[in-house]
Amino acid sequence: MSLATFENYFLPGNGREVVALLQEYGERALILAGGSFVHGLAARDLLSGVDVFIDIQKLGLANIVTDPDGLQVGAMTRFTDFEKVPEIQNDPGWGAVKDALSYPPAQIMNAATVGGSIAAVCPYFDLPTALLAVGGKVKVESNTGSREINLKDFSTSLFESSLGVDEFVTGLVLPQPVSGSVSAFIKLATNANDLAIVNVAVQINLDRSGVCRSASVALGGGVNEITLRSAAAEKLLEGQKLTDELMKAAGTAVQVDISPMADHRASAEYRSAMASVLTERALQRAIARLTRSS
Amino acid sequence: MTNRSVLGNSVPRPDALDKVTGGKQFPVNVVLPGMLHAKLLRSPYPHARIVSIDAGAAEKLPGVKAVLLPQDVPQRKYCPVYFVPTLAPSMVQDMLIMSDTVRYAGQPVAAVAATSAGIAEQALELIEVEYEELPAVFDPDAAMADGAPVIHAGTEKNVAVNPVISFGDVEAAFEKAEHIFEGTYQTQRVHTCYMEPRVCVVDSDVAGNLTVHSSMQHLFGLREKLAFALDMPEGKVKVIKPAYIGGGFGGKLDIGYIEPVAALLSLKTGRPVRIEQTRYEDFISTTRNPIKVYLKTGISKEGRFVARYAESTLDCGAHATHGAEVINVHGMFGILLTYPCPDQHWEGKTVYTNNIIGGGYRGYGSPQGAFAVESQIDEICEELGFDPVEFRLNNSYQQGDPHPFNPAAKLDSYRFQDCLQQAAERIDWSSRKPAGSDQGVRKRGIGLGCQPLWVSGCVGFPDIYEHSGAIVKLNRDGTADLSTATVDLGSGQITTLCMIAAEELGLAADQVRMTYADTDTVPFDAPSHASRVTYSAGNAVKAAAGEAKQRLLEVAGGLLEAGPDDLEVRAGMVCVKGSPDVKIRVADVVERAEAPFVVMTEEGPQPTNLAEKGTIIGLSSMAPPANPSPATVEFVEVEVDTETGQVDVLRVVFAHDLGKLIHPAGAEGQVEGGFQQGMGYALMENLVFDADSGACLSSDFLDYKMPTAVEMPVKIESIFIESDEPTGPFGAKSLSEPCVTVPAPAIANAIYNATGVRVRELPITPEKILTGLGRL
Ligand SMILES: Cc1cc2nc3c(=O)[nH]c(=O)nc-3n(C[C@H](O)[C@H](O)[C@H](O)COP(=O)(O)OP(=O)(O)OC[C@H]3O[C@@H](n4cnc5c(N)ncnc54)[C@H](O)[C@@H]3O)c2cc1C
Repeated sequence: MSLATFENYFLPGNGREVVALLQEYGERALILAGGSFVHGLAARDLLSGVDVFIDIQKLGLANIVTDPDGLQVGAMTRFTDFEKVPEIQNDPGWGAVKDALSYPPAQIMNAATVGGSIAAVCPYFDLPTALLAVGGKVKVESNTGSREINLKDFSTSLFESSLGVDEFVTGLVLPQPVSGSVSAFIKLATNANDLAIVNVAVQINLDRSGVCRSASVALGGGVNEITLRSAAAEKLLEGQKLTDELMKAAGTAVQVDISPMADHRASAEYRSAMASVLTERALQRAIARLTRSS
Repeated sequence: MTNRSVLGNSVPRPDALDKVTGGKQFPVNVVLPGMLHAKLLRSPYPHARIVSIDAGAAEKLPGVKAVLLPQDVPQRKYCPVYFVPTLAPSMVQDMLIMSDTVRYAGQPVAAVAATSAGIAEQALELIEVEYEELPAVFDPDAAMADGAPVIHAGTEKNVAVNPVISFGDVEAAFEKAEHIFEGTYQTQRVHTCYMEPRVCVVDSDVAGNLTVHSSMQHLFGLREKLAFALDMPEGKVKVIKPAYIGGGFGGKLDIGYIEPVAALLSLKTGRPVRIEQTRYEDFISTTRNPIKVYLKTGISKEGRFVARYAESTLDCGAHATHGAEVINVHGMFGILLTYPCPDQHWEGKTVYTNNIIGGGYRGYGSPQGAFAVESQIDEICEELGFDPVEFRLNNSYQQGDPHPFNPAAKLDSYRFQDCLQQAAERIDWSSRKPAGSDQGVRKRGIGLGCQPLWVSGCVGFPDIYEHSGAIVKLNRDGTADLSTATVDLGSGQITTLCMIAAEELGLAADQVRMTYADTDTVPFDAPSHASRVTYSAGNAVKAAAGEAKQRLLEVAGGLLEAGPDDLEVRAGMVCVKGSPDVKIRVADVVERAEAPFVVMTEEGPQPTNLAEKGTIIGLSSMAPPANPSPATVEFVEVEVDTETGQVDVLRVVFAHDLGKLIHPAGAEGQVEGGFQQGMGYALMENLVFDADSGACLSSDFLDYKMPTAVEMPVKIESIFIESDEPTGPFGAKSLSEPCVTVPAPAIANAIYNATGVRVRELPITPEKILTGLGRL
């Protein structure tokens, strides 16, 4: 079914109305944020049974608040506005987010929203991989009020999240990285408007002697049904000095945690090999930031 | 002083402002009052018989105005290709607008016209089709095997056409050869990726006459094919020329399903009917045919080609369409005529499968040949220690040689050697390192690919239309209107033709305007294809402008009291040769020609000169005099990431002998656009299909990858080697298609030079490179 057959379009003015519409239409309804992925879903027959749009652009969810604890980012924040936040630009601990926002084409930067990027639960997107590495919480709203879901628990399976039928995403809370944190992100794709074949984001925290206190390694782009963290790689890094050999070994270690998909964009073997290469390169890129910031 | 004041200078394109402000004249923007929108229902099965169709529920849906089923459609088999007569013996007539047999997943089986596209689409879901599935085959070799499903009754082993061409005694020649090389080279199915979808609006009147708007490359071809398929006299079909279309590249060189379906729905409803394809529908409407080439080459001790044997298997999918001609161009210009070789044998097979149909695409069979021939030359040179540039220089045709395709003509303006030498110098060929010798993760390499011999149109080929025509009319403000049936695909045909007319008329480029045309009002023109417009249509435009100019000089001669032969036109003035001060404005001459015969003066009515009266106009309709061959060489530098297999193209040097350079910016645009398409073919473009149903899995540009501005090399250096082609308009011959043909072998050879990995199957994906490096 193409978008030509959509009959119902709603432009609610507040969250209560959104929830009421979600309750009324259930599975027939689709929240419309930046709309950048809707054509992609429709062209792949992933919208069958859906004929109602609920456009949330009038909800005033595009604000960004900075406080000492971190960032509060409204769900409707566009990528371009997110990219311009000084903390994202300057804090090496959020380097992965900055990197992820350097890839999308201009049209996507201007249209795509932070909430849409998370809520779509598409493993081929970049920003969610970066966010998973730096950690944070998703704010959601329903008729019973609002709650926060850990980013790690938000995605459940391909295109499926832990949102209830009448719940929607209102924002994102990103905790301030502890000092000594650096992070980076790398994407492998065929061309500049491609989704990731594999992407990797890392955040590491080093003590003064260069020993890794904590590490998070997140992988996306079809190395699994949903974006995931590699516990094996993280365990290998923690408590160690980040030598070239160790970073290479961390790349190898991710193999334990991934189960790559095969599709017409890449074989499982290629994704698997690239997960290791990109993990090592993302770690190198993060370390380079450390050298620069110290 | 030279009479070439217009040509050779870049001018703003007359269509540019219109396009960057929305392009309202693209056919996709045609809207007619009362227009209906139609959609096609497509088969999910690759091979099936339709048992029954029930469209009752669809017809009852509010807003639905008409439904079209196979039984409503004339059952006249046709060949959809525009540039040949519909019943051309060298082509295959195997298509129907709708049939009760389905031969590929995606073939239209019904259509609905409704007041909106959304309603039409909903109605499609209400149509019940009962299919009887038939066994299907997707691999051409399997299709030729005993016991394979028969796709078209009456064909042997599913082979649609089977050309064989031999020169000399190839077996004896192989026996004498010092070295023999063989290899199999496979290309993939790609789409031209024009930006404007295939779209049409067809209107009908009460007498059953049709008026057609369509995004296509050939007015007269569309008229002929549409009239034939609908079993109507051609005179009842009028095709309107679009001011420009949003790309074609050969992908709009045949009638689609949409035009006949829209016509029939319009005749049923009496209303205009519009059909616009989705990108997915475009992907399955026209593709470059995959060809597998087995190539065996014998080399003498001195490094000369002495024997060549080739077999080419072309997968044409469910219908032959262009496949019947592509195979021949591929065999001739892709393989046999590339370099002189006395003893050769080639056999081509165009094979039916239950895959989607093929189509035209810049290069028309040559890219598939060049990938094989040019890759193998690199392999030969690597093995025998020859320098690839020297090897080609020693094996090429020379300027002045008899034309290998048409021995009555000579390769007068042929400059292949100059192309090779100048481009090699520019890329610094002598600094090339041995294959795979670069150290580190990222390795660089240089490679080249050539199209040693190409065409300027199709004069001399059996069954192919080639003539062109033009009308040039001078206006009283001193400007000229040019009308031709030539469609501007986006490649700048309007600019080039206006420049040629301006040069001939002695006007500035922007004083000639390309104006309205349709099949009722202008002479026949063959399509915008085959690297032919500048040469063939250019010659016709020059002739029409020349005729108008002759008339202009006759009228001016009366006013300046000089014979027309003593006059010339320069910068909008007619002047006496050698006495530039004796002159009159072109505008004044035209004004005079169109002024009333008797003028009122103070002395009363005064007659003027009856012989000078009438619009100053020129008309031509003619075949071009010859088919001169240009030559093309391209060098590419790449960098390969040996951990990810990704390839960056760093630098491109392109050299081409095009006769006279008419519009420099337009020519560079051809090279750059061609490189983008050729690079996509080399590295990433590929339509992919479900192994069981043959259904196309690539639905849009998220799946189908082509190079964007980011992947393109920062600069593409074009070297245009000029000479005077005696038969061309102001010395010009052709450019377009080789720009697309040469990148794939050049990139393949550069990747080999960088990594030592030879990939004989396009596209050269990172996975194939890593596999070659033993890393996957
Ligand atoms: C050509 C192209 C290139 C791209 N390149 C990149 C890239 O380089 N890097 C990258 O990270 N991404 C890329 N993307 C993906 C892009 O980031 C996503 O399409 C975008 O983030 C989705 O956000 P949106 O606001 O447009 O969501 P929409 O398209 O409006 O919605 C997407 C999905 O999320 C749901 N949804 C949206 N908002 C909410 C909400 N607040 N609550 C609940 N559900 C919601 C919708 O119902 C829908 O199912 C690309 C996409 C395209 C089409």
